[in-house]
Amino acid sequence: MNFEVIIGIEIHCELKTNTKMFSSAPLSFAATPNTCTNEIDLGMPGTLPCVNKEAVRSAVKACLATNCEVDRLIRFDRKNYYYSDLPKGFQITQQFYPIGSNGSVTIQTDEGEKVVRLNRIHMEEDTAKQFHTDEGTMIDFNRAGTPLIEIVSEPDMRNGKEAAAYVEEIRKTLYYLGVSDVRMEEGSLRCDVNISLRPYGSDVLGAKAEIKNLNSIANVQRAIEYEMKRQNEILLAGGTVSQATLRFDEATRQTVEMRKKEGAVDYKYFPEPNIFPIRIDDEMMQDIIDNMPELPKERYETYISTYELSDYDANTLVANKELSDFFNETVAHTKEYKLVANWLLGDVSAYLNKNGLQIQESKLAPIELASMINMVANKEISSKQAKEVFEGIVEGKTAKAVVKEKGMEQLSDPNAILALINQALDANPQSIEDFKNGKDRAVGFLVGQVMKLSKGQANPGLTNKLLVEELNKR
Amino acid sequence: MEKNKAYFRKLANQIMIDLSDDEIEILQKEFEVTLRKMDLLDKINTDDVKEMVYPFELETHFLREDEIENVISQQEALENAPEVKDGQILVPKVVK
Amino acid sequence: MRIQDFKNKDIHELVDLQARLVSANEKLNAVVSFCDVDAQIKDYKMKEDAPLFGTPVVLKDNISTKGVRTTASSRILDNYVPFYDATVVKKLRDAGAIFTCKSAMDELGMGGTGLNAYTGKVNNPYDLERITGGSSSGSAALVAAGLTPLAIGTDTGDSVRKPAAYCGIVGVKPTYGRISRYGVIPYASSLDHVGYFTTNIEDAALALEVMAGRDDQDMTSSYKEVEAYASLLNGDLKGKKIGIITNVIDAIVDPRFRPSFDAFTKKLEEKGTILEMVTIDQDLMNALLPTYFIISNAEATANHSNLDGIRFGMREPGEDLNEIMINSRTKGFSSDVRNRFVIGSYSLFVENQDKIFRKAQKVRRVIVEAVDEALKNYDVLLAPAAGTLAPKPDDSYGEDLNNTFMVAENHMLLGNFSGYPSITVPYDMVDGMPVAINLLARAFDEQTMFNVAKGIEDVTGLAGITKEDF
Repeated sequence: MNFEVIIGIEIHCELKTNTKMFSSAPLSFAATPNTCTNEIDLGMPGTLPCVNKEAVRSAVKACLATNCEVDRLIRFDRKNYYYSDLPKGFQITQQFYPIGSNGSVTIQTDEGEKVVRLNRIHMEEDTAKQFHTDEGTMIDFNRAGTPLIEIVSEPDMRNGKEAAAYVEEIRKTLYYLGVSDVRMEEGSLRCDVNISLRPYGSDVLGAKAEIKNLNSIANVQRAIEYEMKRQNEILLAGGTVSQATLRFDEATRQTVEMRKKEGAVDYKYFPEPNIFPIRIDDEMMQDIIDNMPELPKERYETYISTYELSDYDANTLVANKELSDFFNETVAHTKEYKLVANWLLGDVSAYLNKNGLQIQESKLAPIELASMINMVANKEISSKQAKEVFEGIVEGKTAKAVVKEKGMEQLSDPNAILALINQALDANPQSIEDFKNGKDRAVGFLVGQVMKLSKGQANPGLTNKLLVEELNKR
Repeated sequence: MEKNKAYFRKLANQIMIDLSDDEIEILQKEFEVTLRKMDLLDKINTDDVKEMVYPFELETHFLREDEIENVISQQEALENAPEVKDGQILVPKVVK
Repeated sequence: MRIQDFKNKDIHELVDLQARLVSANEKLNAVVSFCDVDAQIKDYKMKEDAPLFGTPVVLKDNISTKGVRTTASSRILDNYVPFYDATVVKKLRDAGAIFTCKSAMDELGMGGTGLNAYTGKVNNPYDLERITGGSSSGSAALVAAGLTPLAIGTDTGDSVRKPAAYCGIVGVKPTYGRISRYGVIPYASSLDHVGYFTTNIEDAALALEVMAGRDDQDMTSSYKEVEAYASLLNGDLKGKKIGIITNVIDAIVDPRFRPSFDAFTKKLEEKGTILEMVTIDQDLMNALLPTYFIISNAEATANHSNLDGIRFGMREPGEDLNEIMINSRTKGFSSDVRNRFVIGSYSLFVENQDKIFRKAQKVRRVIVEAVDEALKNYDVLLAPAAGTLAPKPDDSYGEDLNNTFMVAENHMLLGNFSGYPSITVPYDMVDGMPVAINLLARAFDEQTMFNVAKGIEDVTGLAGITKEDF
């Protein structure tokens, strides 16, 4: 790149509370149109907003998880404009006093760790949904009033990969907090990217392109990479980049202009007169802090230090919360942490992918995975046998049941083993001679014979021990 | 500060309103009056005075419990709507 | 007409009263929609000890009534029927009220004359040519005409207390947040109060007990306990300290005023009231009206952005969304209201807010501090409620009159800026027209306010006065 790329990202996250930000109507997803509203969501005359406690708690959690300073005095403002999806003709938001400010998240880049600073986190409400047809635009107010938190980064990112890593880090954090489904494809996480170029060494920001409606993290990266090149070429040719609002065309993998940004719109922000400032008291704050769920990086640290997993394994597990939860449940029943990680990231993941399942949808139980792994560790079954057992436990069977069913129950009775040992010894007098002549591999051979006789079920350790004793007797 | 008719018409259109020429003339006059009346406000010293947004400046603690209470039927939601289609409010296609 | 008149009556008699109301409205033009009194009587299940048992109540047409057309006297809401009730409506109904009609008002509350209703001029029962004042015009007219003992209104810039003066009745604006605003079509949210009219103080005290109280749906509503205002009513004026606002007295030019007022204050002193003159900074008093217009126009513009013809109300045709909104709002609002919206919008632009909107909000604080200072030594402040008798429409006190004289017309804004409770009480008749005083008390000190008002009422003997032969 001949120019420095400055990227800032605004993320809107739909909270999964029970009710709307300012009314007690339920949230909806794919429900019949206009069945999840009330007079407040419709902006009927005379209605007043009523702030949702759980939305505030969720916003505070997001602030705590991203190192933001929390403004404990909650204040709202009006953002005024006219549009068919905006029932009141203004959106209630937090312009002047966002609930969170000066935060940060850490991402992994090719050059190592990088801190991306957050400018603010604030609460606001969502607009209605519109469906455009040739006969007109139809408006469904089910979504109107859904609580949103908006997370605004500083323009700290420098390329598409960093941007993707940032969005992923935010997504993962919000998911671990349990405050949102954060599915970009469903709209519960939305990303707008601001990107501009400037000469290296300059501290003046160039003309900004805003890329909206990105529906996946992969597209965030692709859109940025395309736009970076596009702006770079314009500037190299001596042209100027004009401020614009763009969308990303998935088919052509190019950014396309939506409309020229006509300078800033004046939203006439002023404080919301119908909501007195609300103070989050110490008790509520402490309650939120005490009940903070474990965050991705905390879990990662535990995986590295307590469970001694590799960096790769730890990261891969943490990236999928449900898989990671499963890991946590499994290691409650076994100390073979590395084996558990291997199984989950290997055979289990392969099975899930093949069958198009998420782990929480499968019938595999953590305790059974642990049980199977313990049997392998104790050499009660071999690794090869374990794969067969896996096929059973993934159907919901218990490990012990499968082992029994497949006749893999290990022979551990010393007398039974002794009987087989004597059988093997009687059949192989030459090996006894070899042993007496100091050839240790005779032991291995004889153990193999006992295993054959027992159809692989004799406990190898015990067999070895008893065999040597017996050899010494003979 | 001479603000011509076009300026006021634009102001009005921004808030989804139109004004006839006669109405704009009246508005221009009222505007002048308002600006003159600002002198009366400017007479009041407000250095170091914070805006009064609410009549009482008590901090409140109340937050609504996140429980579903008030939902209306689709019929109620739409009964005042001038135009409806497929259970939704209908407007001319919004050009993006 | 009093609330207690209805306690022992057969509620079926309300049908006759309703007929009288319909007939009287031909002359008063105070009603937008009549309610179905027969249906309410049929379904009536209240016990006789209900505070408003069998009481007919009028509602200003900016108060949402489920299933009953609510227009705020604006054309854009001419066909609007709410599917929910305002909290105050629920409270009144639960106390036994039977609603008789939705009364006319200055459009969206933006006016002080009663000339700006979509249904036309509301007439003053004392002289049908004269105005009632506004914006709670119809509510005032109907109480003054003896057609209802209780009528609900709203007071943003004296819109209950001024018409009460012009119509010779009691007009109450309680403390901000005392009565829930949920369901009340707003004008300026930080100045709006639900208020009401009665013919006497005892009814006024009772009505507040019914309507006041915390409503979680209104996050500005107060948690303060609702006192038993009526049973604690005490009209003993002995030792009560009243500060008379000189700025208002000095601003009144009508020569008939002084003798009447002096006679009145003499009666108060005879009852042991301690009256003193108190003066508020004249510059602040002159700034009341412009401060009010700036704050109220700005808040109103934003509040009424939902009136766009899309989800409800009168939608005008258009080729695209913008045209529909512009056509609907242009046809739907009067010229006056549209002008005020434009000015309101202008004052909120980023480059103007500091100089205009925020400046006005700062001046508001200075004003309220002056009120606090003035009230410091008194139980209540007192001033004539209006500077003139109820005017005729052609009487204008436009820009010709000096600001100083406007003070007499606008001083009740002190109650809206501060949120403190305020009541208008008639005290005399002058040439056949009522004149009234206005009291301003401390926040949530309605008891003191009612008590002094009761003392005044006892002294003037004007309790229950109505003008029924119009």
